[in-house]
Amino acid sequence: MKRTTSRRIETVIRVIVLTFYGLLVVLPIYWMVITSFKTNPEIVNTQHITYFPETFTLENYQSLFRMLSYSTYLKNSIIVTLVSAIVIVFLSILGGYGLARFKFKGKGGVLIFFMLTQMIPCILVIIPLYIVFSKMGLINTRIALFIYYVITNCPFCVVTMRSFFERIPYELEEAAYVDGCGRLETLWRVVLPVMFSGIVAVFVFAFIGAWNELIAGTIFLNTPDMWTIPVGLKSLIGKYSVQWGALMAGGVLALLPTAIMFMFVQRYVVEGMTAGAVKG
Amino acid sequence: MRKKKIMALMLSAALALTTIGCGGGNNGTTGESSSDATQSGSQTADAGAEQSGVTLRFLDVSPSETRQKYYEGVFEKFKEETGISVVYESVPWDDAANKITVLGASDQLPDVLTTHSGWLGQLTSSEWIIPLTDYLGDSTEDYTVAVNKLFWQSEIDRFGDIYTIPDGMMVKGIFVRKDWCEELGIELDPAKGWTYDEYFEVVEKLTDVEKKHYGVSYRGARGAFDPLMTYLQNYTGGNTYDSEGNILIKSDECREAFQKWTDLYRNGYAPEDSINWGFTEMVDNFVGGLTGTLMNDSEVAPTCMENMEDDQWMVMPVPKSEKDGKLYNLINGSYSLSISSDSENPDAAWQLIEFLARTENSSNYCRLSGLIPIKKDAAEDELYGEGGPYYTFTMQLNDPDLVVPATIGAFDYTDMHQGVMHEEIQKYLLGDIDADTALDTIADELEIRMKKYLEEHPETSVEKALVMQ
Amino acid sequence: MSKRANDEKRAMGALSRRRKNMPYYFMLPVLLPLVLLFGYPLIKSCIIAFQNYKLGNPDIYFNDFENFRKLFADRDFFLILKNSLIYVIGSVAGQFFLGLGLALALKKKFPGRGIYQSIVFLPWAFSAFVVGLLFRWSFNGEYGVVNDLLLKLNIVEKGPAWLGTPGLSLLVVTIAMIWIGIPFFGIMILAALQSIPNDVFEAADIDGCGIFRKFFSITVPYIKPTIIITILLRTIWIFNSFDLIIIMTEGGPANYSQTLPSYIYTKAFSAYDFGLAGAFGLMLMLILGMYAVVFLKISNYEEAGDF
Repeated sequence: MKRTTSRRIETVIRVIVLTFYGLLVVLPIYWMVITSFKTNPEIVNTQHITYFPETFTLENYQSLFRMLSYSTYLKNSIIVTLVSAIVIVFLSILGGYGLARFKFKGKGGVLIFFMLTQMIPCILVIIPLYIVFSKMGLINTRIALFIYYVITNCPFCVVTMRSFFERIPYELEEAAYVDGCGRLETLWRVVLPVMFSGIVAVFVFAFIGAWNELIAGTIFLNTPDMWTIPVGLKSLIGKYSVQWGALMAGGVLALLPTAIMFMFVQRYVVEGMTAGAVKG
Repeated sequence: MRKKKIMALMLSAALALTTIGCGGGNNGTTGESSSDATQSGSQTADAGAEQSGVTLRFLDVSPSETRQKYYEGVFEKFKEETGISVVYESVPWDDAANKITVLGASDQLPDVLTTHSGWLGQLTSSEWIIPLTDYLGDSTEDYTVAVNKLFWQSEIDRFGDIYTIPDGMMVKGIFVRKDWCEELGIELDPAKGWTYDEYFEVVEKLTDVEKKHYGVSYRGARGAFDPLMTYLQNYTGGNTYDSEGNILIKSDECREAFQKWTDLYRNGYAPEDSINWGFTEMVDNFVGGLTGTLMNDSEVAPTCMENMEDDQWMVMPVPKSEKDGKLYNLINGSYSLSISSDSENPDAAWQLIEFLARTENSSNYCRLSGLIPIKKDAAEDELYGEGGPYYTFTMQLNDPDLVVPATIGAFDYTDMHQGVMHEEIQKYLLGDIDADTALDTIADELEIRMKKYLEEHPETSVEKALVMQ
Repeated sequence: MSKRANDEKRAMGALSRRRKNMPYYFMLPVLLPLVLLFGYPLIKSCIIAFQNYKLGNPDIYFNDFENFRKLFADRDFFLILKNSLIYVIGSVAGQFFLGLGLALALKKKFPGRGIYQSIVFLPWAFSAFVVGLLFRWSFNGEYGVVNDLLLKLNIVEKGPAWLGTPGLSLLVVTIAMIWIGIPFFGIMILAALQSIPNDVFEAADIDGCGIFRKFFSITVPYIKPTIIITILLRTIWIFNSFDLIIIMTEGGPANYSQTLPSYIYTKAFSAYDFGLAGAFGLMLMLILGMYAVVFLKISNYEEAGDF
């Protein structure tokens, strides 16, 4: 009897809590989506703020495609982000495995160095890099962004990957070695398949980190045909007007690819992180 | 053996991905190389032939759909005529100053860059752009009196040379909500003009907080000091310093003026939010219907035309001084063209600037951007005559009372412009410090810098206000 | 811990029969680019912090701690330091508690959890730029939906100018920061919660432990390492992030929402004074370094330098 009431109370509390978080997230997003479908006069009408578009319009989206070469930005963003994320995953596997399975001179130093990289204000990295890149002729290329995204996202991803490896019992590998497999082959055939969800998690971390980056984008890129989505969106804030409708529409479109990806992978992310959760 | 194979495979896969992904990225900077077909079309006699095949980089600091279309079209024509191709680069206005700094510091500035007048101190002192006086030669005569007597004179006074060719002339005016005035029975006549006190009175009358009507688009953030400075100069004869470099804006009259100006905010004639407003928000909120007046450049006119009904807005001239009846108004280029010192083909870059300044091209551009033409033979357009939307602006240019106040100085004050100059005023508006402290902090720092500048440049004389006559 | 050491030993054992420098083959592809591309800027900014280094000015020389004197003489330095602390502590605390709550609520399976998760984790996928704009727009004093709601609910008589009022502007930036960061905490803590073996709870149930007792004597110790690492990382990231501030307030009004990194950004670009920016940067790294060491000591985390 007592058990069921406390269960019931627990359920009620959980529903309340879950609703709270749902609203917390959905309301701002709702506002963004709604604004993107309003006409401009409705958006800037101070007398009367509407909670649903009175006149539903696609004008903001149309003007977005008219004003910006949105498809070009999308293409740029996808290429740079995808390639960076794949390379980051690849490097994290190597580095994470190295850190998890070997004891070597300077390991502590490596970890401290990784921590340090997270502490440098990014602007103090971007400027010297700009000078180096410009000497190498890499300015206004995707390679510049790619390099920047890889190095800034790698430390976190390597260390995360390391904790995944540590969770996998060494016995698994040992068995393979006994069968005469080499180390890389074991890694490829035996270890990696077990940590699929962890790899997905790292990929998502890297992808989001690169997808949303703005500052390096504005500094390293010169021509609109190279711009990524955030840089392109930023150009909507003109000298004389903030086009709220178009900006919100841009926000929705920038979010869409990641949101769709999220639907499919969030399960793996949580699963992966669970497998790699720091040991208690 | 096997291990190596896998390693090699993985590596090459990663490499392949990298190259596929990034390989396409190299265009842009290099652009297409020469095209023989267009060479024969070259009409420019002098340097034309040898420049053909060159590729120039052009940086636009305020990209928009209209501007990009205009420039790409004009570059096309330019290429047909000279064989020189131009790559259009741009950076969002918000990041433009930062970007130019980075480009300049790493010797990567494009051949031709559009500049804002506030950046000239930095651009010239670090020698990132080159003087154009020799290139211009006698052709200065083709330009309007305003360009010669006001724009270039000011550059010569400050930097000893002409460094930029204006893309069009910008004159300030006061944009007013015509319909609000009519409703309240306020009569305004651009031809008659007004004084500052009359203007302040209109601002007060237009304010109706219940209806969410505010009298003025007050500028509280970056750039807040600029319009205020012009107002203070109403009481200094348009000058900033005396001949010794002592600052003139600390007089009692100026202190009173400072109070009057900031009272626009303190008395609630502007939205409370406006303490954080920059350029964009001022215009946006006027166009959006929150504020009733807006002091700004003719450049804003196209935005109004696009977003407001004709009977909703009008333009009044900048108010005249209470003290001497003069019309103190800043005259400027909007994004003047300059050639960077990193350019390997300054001659070709000049050809491009000349091409852009050609009457047909520049009138076209001015019409799109809401600017007053720079060439004498373009001024007859009806757009700029009586009844046209720009009449108030051209009228001010011809006003015998017009005085163009002296600038802050030729020294680099970007850091102040992005810091102290508005922060001190904000602190006063928030009640953290009193008015005198705010004004003194700004004025004293300017005086220190001016004196230091005069010490380092003994040959320069202190810049005075300019008149056309 | 001992298991990890054991694994390492065994792996090394397998290794010694092969080649000794195997670990370096694994580490090199990661370390080499990182050391080169981070090391150079790192050393460079340490050096310029002691130099008169202005962009565009070819005259570069060591100036005897002048930058640091300027830094401490900066009239708003302590205000900015205070803002940074409020911003970081407020954001991390908000993200942590809300993230923890979210994780606890998500721990048990319920119908539709998958879809629900992909929605509540969404803010993580937002770019700071878009979030900044969205919150700037929502908290606008005149057009903003927040003030409209407050008025409609009769909570206030006149909506404040959120971004134009000292204190409030920093608060709004902090709220936006919390909003973005809840999912990250949520995911990390949820993952840690799920890795607690079920039998531990069952045993506690049999012993008749209450919810709170279970929470504090089982859950907390289990997820403590995750919490420590996540808080540490988040603190560093938030302390170092400035995009939200630049987009929402540019540090205004009158520096009341300025933090150290956003100030570095403005300093570097408005005064082109990279020496001073470097000094500020060094200061920031020093603070973060000290914080990391002290934090790890206090929280008794076994391996300093690990994260």
